[in-house]
Amino acid sequence: MTSIEERVKKVVSRLLGVNESQIADDSDFVRDLGAESIQSIELVAAFEEEFDIEMDEEAALQVKTVGKAVEFVKKDIAEQH
Amino acid sequence: MRRLCVFEDEKYCNLYPLTFLRPVFELKCGCTSLLDKILSNYKGTEVCFFVRDYLSPTFKKKFPTAPINDLGILGNSDLLLINGRWLVVDSAVEPDGPEEVGLCDGDVVYARVSQKTAASCSADNIQTFLEQIKSKIKTRSVSADLISYPWDLINHNGKIIEQDFNSLGKSGIEGKFSSFSTVYGEQDLVWVAQSAEIQPFVVIDTTHGPVIIDEGATIFPYSRIEGPSYIGRETYIYGANVREGTAIGPMCRIGGEVEESIIHGYTNKYHEGFLGHSYLAEWINLGALTTNSDLKNDYSQVQVYIKGALTDSNETKVGCYIGDHTKTSIGTFFNTGTVVGIMCNLVGSGGILPKFVPSFVWFLNNRFYKGYGFNAMLNTARAVMARRNRSLSDEDVELMRFIHTLTKEERQTALKKGRKT
Repeated sequence: MTSIEERVKKVVSRLLGVNESQIADDSDFVRDLGAESIQSIELVAAFEEEFDIEMDEEAALQVKTVGKAVEFVKKDIAEQH
Repeated sequence: MRRLCVFEDEKYCNLYPLTFLRPVFELKCGCTSLLDKILSNYKGTEVCFFVRDYLSPTFKKKFPTAPINDLGILGNSDLLLINGRWLVVDSAVEPDGPEEVGLCDGDVVYARVSQKTAASCSADNIQTFLEQIKSKIKTRSVSADLISYPWDLINHNGKIIEQDFNSLGKSGIEGKFSSFSTVYGEQDLVWVAQSAEIQPFVVIDTTHGPVIIDEGATIFPYSRIEGPSYIGRETYIYGANVREGTAIGPMCRIGGEVEESIIHGYTNKYHEGFLGHSYLAEWINLGALTTNSDLKNDYSQVQVYIKGALTDSNETKVGCYIGDHTKTSIGTFFNTGTVVGIMCNLVGSGGILPKFVPSFVWFLNNRFYKGYGFNAMLNTARAVMARRNRSLSDEDVELMRFIHTLTKEERQTALKKGRKT
């Protein structure tokens, strides 16, 4: 079964056009992965779709790294599923 | 003395999103609002207002001494009730006369009511009060221009600008007018206010109606203003082609081509792009090349989303209606008869936007998103307003929060439509 970490990285890879091997837990969405501000909106929506959760967009957009995004997603899954 | 009472009836929602943040009678037609036209017919009369409860705190700031939604005062004096959707020009009802309710297609246009009759009513809202009045006094069928849909404002706009020009009683060039610019048509159909400026290479065309350039407005080179048109206070026109039936301002920045449209105020459309048969509310920014269709390719009548359902406008020319604080990116295209809510962020992705965009959403790559969230949207609004020395009051914020909740369901529907799960 694919882990949440792997699924988060797949989403990030697909949306930002970055090879999964280049995505680490401490990868910064903007500085390391080149996310534009508009893409952060798409990332939140993509995580919601992937994990069938509703994210607080204002809190979600404060997340800077992939690892923190994994934590955020896990917390929402625990609360909503 | 008879008290003037301007009220909103229940059709304000036909004019959403333009009426989300203001009473229906604050919408504009011609150079001024519907309310300005009503009040100008009854100068010196004590006035009270009935608006949706959630609008009361913001509206109160504009009329701090006028009673708002105070049913208790209705029985204290003779009344002249006027429907705020009534486009009153020179057809206002006489304040004095026998008790009478004027009805147009079942809607109360006005009611002249004695203190005794008013005091005999016991209503807990203005609609019930009007129903009771209708059952107590004589009704009369009247012909009146009641604004029922956004396109009504657009359809009347040119004619009303002409009437406003006549009411204004001013003409001629009082401000700066470059010798390299010209009035094409009758010279006395122009009024350029004292602090307005017409820079070189501007054509003001009065062959089809008057042109009013209000105080502090500047018309930059290579602009053409075709009457009937109104350029509001401190509005700048940047080489634009402003065509007939257009009212703009105050404090707008306009380029490109604008035809038969109303731009309420504090809105920017700096760049190239066509806007036709449209109503833009306040604090909107249209990115370069943003363009709307106002005519279908088969010349058929345009349908528009009103209260969540497609409604026949019975018009072939319908543009877009955009709520306050909405922004578009470069190259955004609106379909014929598009309705966009307040505080949206629309990113053109090559295609045409959906015909209905709920409030507080982003539209990007052909789907809706939640965007940065409500508080971030407020921060953007604050930044935009500060550029014009304006600010969001606590009451404004509470009103927006209320509308955010009011529009939640339609927003959720749109967001879910784009989701794959």
